[in-house]
Amino acid sequence: MSLNYSSPLFLFGLLGISIPILIHLLTRRQQKQIRFSAVHLLTQSQKRSTRKSRPNRLLLLIARCLAIALFSLALADPFFSFRQSEAFLSGSPASTVFILDDSYSMGKKSDKKLLFDHAIDFISDRVKQAPDKSQFSLVLASSPTRIEQDWTSDKTTFEKTLGSQSLSFRTTSIGDAIYLSIKLLDSAKHEKKKISVLTDLDKNGWKEEAFLKLPDLSPYSIKLLDFSSLQPDDNKGAIRNVQISQEFLTQSRLLRVQAEIKNFSSTLIRMPLSFFLEGKIIKEELLNLPPGQNYSHEFSYPLRRNQPLNGRVQISEDALTSDNSRYFSFHPSQNIKVLVVDGDPETISHQSESFYLERALNPFSVSLSHIDPTISTLAELSLRNLSDFSVIILANVRELSPGYELELEKFVLNGGALLFGVGSQVNPKYFNEHLGNLFPVKLDSLYQVQDEPLHLLLKNNAHPVMKVFSPKELTEMRDINFDSIYTIKAREDKVFKVGAWFSKQHPAVIESKVGKGISVLFLSSLDRDWNDFPIQPTFLPWIQRWTQYSARGLDSIFGQNLLVGEPFRKSTSDSKERWMVRSPDRGLHLLKDEVFANTFQPGNYHLFSFSSSETKTELSKTLNKLPIGAEPAGSFTVNIDIQESEPGKISQNEIQHFLEGMKIEILEPSSQASKPQGSEGTSLATPLFLLVAGMLLVEGWMLRKE
Amino acid sequence: MENSTQNLDAQVLSQVSTLKITAMNLVEGLLTGQHRSRHKGSSVEFAEYKDYSPGDEIRHIDWKVVGKTDKYHVKQFEQSTNLKCTILLDASGSMGYQSPFQDQVSKMEYARNLVATLSYLLLKQFDAVGLTLFNDKIIEHIPPRSKASHFQHILHGLVNISPGGTTQIADVLGGLSERLPGRSMLILVSDFFAPNQDLRKSLKLLSSRGIEVILFHILHPDEIHLPFEGDVVFESLEDGSTLGLDPQDICDEYQKLIQEQINSFKKDCNGLGVDYIFQDTSGPLDQALSYYLLKRKSLTKL
Repeated sequence: MSLNYSSPLFLFGLLGISIPILIHLLTRRQQKQIRFSAVHLLTQSQKRSTRKSRPNRLLLLIARCLAIALFSLALADPFFSFRQSEAFLSGSPASTVFILDDSYSMGKKSDKKLLFDHAIDFISDRVKQAPDKSQFSLVLASSPTRIEQDWTSDKTTFEKTLGSQSLSFRTTSIGDAIYLSIKLLDSAKHEKKKISVLTDLDKNGWKEEAFLKLPDLSPYSIKLLDFSSLQPDDNKGAIRNVQISQEFLTQSRLLRVQAEIKNFSSTLIRMPLSFFLEGKIIKEELLNLPPGQNYSHEFSYPLRRNQPLNGRVQISEDALTSDNSRYFSFHPSQNIKVLVVDGDPETISHQSESFYLERALNPFSVSLSHIDPTISTLAELSLRNLSDFSVIILANVRELSPGYELELEKFVLNGGALLFGVGSQVNPKYFNEHLGNLFPVKLDSLYQVQDEPLHLLLKNNAHPVMKVFSPKELTEMRDINFDSIYTIKAREDKVFKVGAWFSKQHPAVIESKVGKGISVLFLSSLDRDWNDFPIQPTFLPWIQRWTQYSARGLDSIFGQNLLVGEPFRKSTSDSKERWMVRSPDRGLHLLKDEVFANTFQPGNYHLFSFSSSETKTELSKTLNKLPIGAEPAGSFTVNIDIQESEPGKISQNEIQHFLEGMKIEILEPSSQASKPQGSEGTSLATPLFLLVAGMLLVEGWMLRKE
Repeated sequence: MENSTQNLDAQVLSQVSTLKITAMNLVEGLLTGQHRSRHKGSSVEFAEYKDYSPGDEIRHIDWKVVGKTDKYHVKQFEQSTNLKCTILLDASGSMGYQSPFQDQVSKMEYARNLVATLSYLLLKQFDAVGLTLFNDKIIEHIPPRSKASHFQHILHGLVNISPGGTTQIADVLGGLSERLPGRSMLILVSDFFAPNQDLRKSLKLLSSRGIEVILFHILHPDEIHLPFEGDVVFESLEDGSTLGLDPQDICDEYQKLIQEQINSFKKDCNGLGVDYIFQDTSGPLDQALSYYLLKRKSLTKL
């Protein structure tokens, strides 16, 4: 049990008791003592008297003193707790883990300072006030949570660590931080162990699964300091997402940037939305954002040159600035050289596979689709140098020249992509016997539809190739009739993936990794012999996507949009080729083990490649400028996880549910002394004020009688 | 007796003489002289004639009347008896009340004067007077004597009183009623501040034994009006108990209570044929005495 005061200075008011005492003493009437004969009659009269005795001046004095004392106590705002209070323990050193929420939601401004800075100041004050030999440690609550400072009794060291902290752009994970803190406290040397969490109680940081691993009954008390109470304004809006697409026009292309903005407030907001490219503002629109809803706005920008573009979309400043910008990077795909081998060239051009493929892969010119197809006949194939191409499409090829399948194998094993479209010319026997190393399946039989044609099954198709297709386009694709297909049999011990299905459970596309390359088998024709697909509008993007996908161009770094903290991966095949990342703060980082993990700052990251024979260790020493010969190799963007922006605040009940069994105090940092709000203590101010009123009433009643 | 007188100090002697003078002055001024007996018999003073009946003494036959009327009449005379009177004076602590207001006569002083005057009055009529002092028990008892010199003893008894102790009138009267001779007189002087006392029963017992009882209820004006103000702690003169209060708060109730008590005494005494005289010490003693004697006289003549 304990009794603490929010404003103990008011306790000096207790000295005010002396005033009525002094007045009483100064104005005291001399009390007379009389020896009297009929005292028993006096007693009897007193009992019988309806008019009660006059206020005893002593009682009056007591009432006045009590009124003053209670008033002082009420102003001091006492709170009573059945638990041992911190103030009670403050005289002896304790082990305290400070969990600092450095997520970007702590970046809200309050009194020209960020909530994060307030939290730092708060910790600093507490550390300064702590008794000597107290132990401190600092855990950062942004994901991934980490121990920034292990136990130290040296206040200077701790202050130094504290001073070096800056607001991150990450999300919060309070559960993990508490888990780390409990581990820390288990090894703490002092008997008194506490956890202080300095956070804005953003709902995003409280995920139930993170609390499941906490021990059931932790003996430590948790003090939650709710800094959100300091923020004057709420976060009004955020850019949730930016999507980039390009539109092919007859002579040019348009870059379309679609931004999705969320209005968190309950009123209509008018705010400007700006579109920046390469640091320069390109366009600005004034938007009316409906309350509590998402709003999409699209900017378009003509692409004049085949060059990468980096930019951002930004709304005007509000309480939280971090979520007002979202970065994007656009890279026109690099040209993919494709060798299309037509196994069934027809004299009438539009009956050949190559006719459709050539137009699908490059509808206008090289500069527009970035796919550079080369048409070849089967006879010409042996004359081609396969290493000049990234992708080889074998369309309706009956047989390859003897031994050429080995060339193809070598090509695929080294990272090439092989696309195979079946057709009437295909010889299943040859395919099954000679291309076993390239394709994981055997062609079984030709399946010709008698009555109801087959269709592509595209429900819930999460294949990367299909991502760009709109629901309308998918519906169109589902309507395409397939009259003939090949059925397949799986080869033993071969792993493959069905990239698409026909109806009636027939596979449509089989893909498998072969060495560093990939092989893709389409089980219907790539011309109009067996289906209508090649004349459908969706054929163009579909074949382009498969080509890009198989050539690793689809999910390459270009256009990689990461969230803060997500590692960037880049496969590097050439041992001599080095990769370097330039982060938004212009810092240079060498890509190690194909991973770049330091993506904690939102913005555009630029990738450079260079050749060097130096070891990575030697290189990292001189990593203050770009090496000579380094070439831009693309870029990727890192954006904040918008979840943290949602203005929801975790409720006290939820906190108690998550931290069941632990002693929890939820405090507001604004009150100088800790003031419990929850189950930790009961404020006695109100009852005391009521008692003061009661005392004044009693006093008034007594005086009225007098 | 001489010795005891010699032992008394000068102050006592002066008090005794003052008391004596006061009593004598009062009595001489008031006295009509006699104390008549209700019992009729042979005496010097003629009362009435009565028809002769066998058994009457022949010497009491008035022969002159026989000569005139030829009827035998017997002369009857008023009997003058030698009355034995015991004065019972309350010497409890409450009787020692001394008013804080200086110009007031104290209750005990007043009672002393009263007792002395009554004693002198009775002795002058050749009646025997005794004095009994009591609080919760009998403190001192001076048996009734009719000698003139007995006055001196009574005066000494009065002067030597130092009030103290609680009052137990009922017990004292109960004990005394056995010892008092029948057809005597008992004068009880007290403030009757005796809580939880059933005086009525004792008085009834005395009356039934033919003892003539006269109650003098002496109260100080302070005890009637409760004129005190401010914070007062009252300390009981009898048992030492204290009570702190502002007397103004209970003044009305107190006065009412006192009045109720007086009225109750009056009523009870009337019912028992007991004389009750209420006297507050502010009133002159002679007035009270003359009033009483007048009353007695009128009663005797009935």
